[in-house]
Amino acid sequence: MRARELARAMPTVAVDTDAMQAAQLMAAERLPGLIVCREDGRPYTILPGSQVLRFLIPTYIQDDPRLARAFDEKASDEMVGKLARRTVHDLLPKPQDVDELPVVDGDATTVEVAAVMARMHSPLVAVVAGERVLGAITVGRLLSHLLSATSPQR
Amino acid sequence: MTAVLVVAAFTAAYVLIATERIHRVTAALFGAAAMVVLGVVDTQVAFFSEETGVDWNVIFLLLGMMVIVSVIKQTGVFDYVAIWAAKRARGRPFAVMVLLVLITAVASALLDNVTTVLLIAPVTLLLCDRLGLPPVPFLIAEALASNIGGAATLIGDPPNIIIASRAGLSFNDFVINLAPIVVILMVVFIGMCRLLFRHAFQYDEERVASVMALNERDMIRDRRLLIRSGVVLAAVMVGFVAHSALHIEPSLVALLGAGTLVAVSDLDPPQFLEEVEWPTLVFFMGLFIMVGALVEVGVIARLGEMVTNAVGERFFLASSVLLWGSALLSGIVDNIPYVTTMTPLVQGLVDSGNGSPQADALWWALALGADLGGNSTAVGASANVVIIGIAARNGHPISFWHFTKYGVVVAVVTIAISWPYLWLRYYAFGG
Repeated sequence: MRARELARAMPTVAVDTDAMQAAQLMAAERLPGLIVCREDGRPYTILPGSQVLRFLIPTYIQDDPRLARAFDEKASDEMVGKLARRTVHDLLPKPQDVDELPVVDGDATTVEVAAVMARMHSPLVAVVAGERVLGAITVGRLLSHLLSATSPQR
Repeated sequence: MTAVLVVAAFTAAYVLIATERIHRVTAALFGAAAMVVLGVVDTQVAFFSEETGVDWNVIFLLLGMMVIVSVIKQTGVFDYVAIWAAKRARGRPFAVMVLLVLITAVASALLDNVTTVLLIAPVTLLLCDRLGLPPVPFLIAEALASNIGGAATLIGDPPNIIIASRAGLSFNDFVINLAPIVVILMVVFIGMCRLLFRHAFQYDEERVASVMALNERDMIRDRRLLIRSGVVLAAVMVGFVAHSALHIEPSLVALLGAGTLVAVSDLDPPQFLEEVEWPTLVFFMGLFIMVGALVEVGVIARLGEMVTNAVGERFFLASSVLLWGSALLSGIVDNIPYVTTMTPLVQGLVDSGNGSPQADALWWALALGADLGGNSTAVGASANVVIIGIAARNGHPISFWHFTKYGVVVAVVTIAISWPYLWLRYYAFGG
């Protein structure tokens, strides 16, 4: 199966999209990440959900997650408040490595898609045809396809 | 000619270390390699000579203490103590700062100041987050306190470890001669915190209530390991105090303590080696070889002779110059390479005093100058660099000048208090 057949339509955001809106979109659609596009519609990068969490959770807690015990529900509400007045650009890792994107061509094989995901630790890849975004493949969808292909042999 | 080339290579490496044009470890290794290429250093000179070689007592004392700290870190005791302190202070910002500063100073004296700030900084950020306080003043105060507290003992600050090993001074020598002045300096420093950081003390009743609701016991991750670590650390302290009577070097005490802790814990090597700063240990080795080359070609002996002739019997003058000069230079370059270079020179001066207490006091002038002078700038001491790095990683950048404007005031005041202490204790009444 080719990437274009696995790809599903997926909402995209721009670099200057409000960070709170992007996070809410991810939550509402239960997406593992979002495709971030340039002004001309070409894919710029992927914003994984884990990157949103990296922005929200203080570094010292990421270094030692056991310190998170000192934060209650009210404190977690305050953390989410950090998204206010921020854009998607603020959430992206810095420095931005835009030379290598989790993007595959529509004709890519499933192994190529898996290789890009594994190499870039990305939960989804954008599928493009030229400069047009065809959709995206999530890691869940890819694994479902790979497992369904192997299950009859067991 | 060789001596000139050795001095040139030493100076070049020193400039690279001071200006941080390249990583200090790389610069020290380049310096050491240059000494080998110049034919001054061979394996005997570098590894086995007590006068010119790597001081393995320093390396293994640091290694042992770093392993001990790695194990203690796994218990969560620092997080427990910090939250306990915040609750004890009832969330009042200045009281929280005082307790954190005291904990940092005491822990720095018992462990070492660099690892102490590594352990206390994350929980300080947590407390400031929860109390709605700006973390930068608290982090700066802890770095400054770690350098003051670390001055009290042989193991508290890397310069003291180097001085002790090179001068043959015991743990008790440091406690008897430096701990009294460090207690006074800490009292003064706490008063200074009230003035210097007065804008940081904002009280938010609602946030304080949330901190008071925390249970510090939740922070303890391994109660059994905590008890075992406490027992071993106490035994290590007894070992340090009694090392002269037991005829066992502090480095071996630390290694035995580290080995015992590893044996009684179920930790894997990555865990008990987590806090070992290999770059720092390699940096020390490179420095020792660089300075050893100066000794080998006779530069240190000639300099020592000149200084000894200039000083004569005027040991208080030498002590004053050493105290203030060390403080000044430690602010410009890291105090570790400074003290490594100075110990052979001071040794010559002390030897010229034929065991008089006035001459011996030069060691305390060097230690106080280097330790307290390390506070004067952001790059003066390793603890400062570590704190600034942690702050930056957590989105609270501290600029060189921001740190320095507090550090220089604290350094000048603490040195100014140490000066009459040295005079009164060792010179005013003839020792």
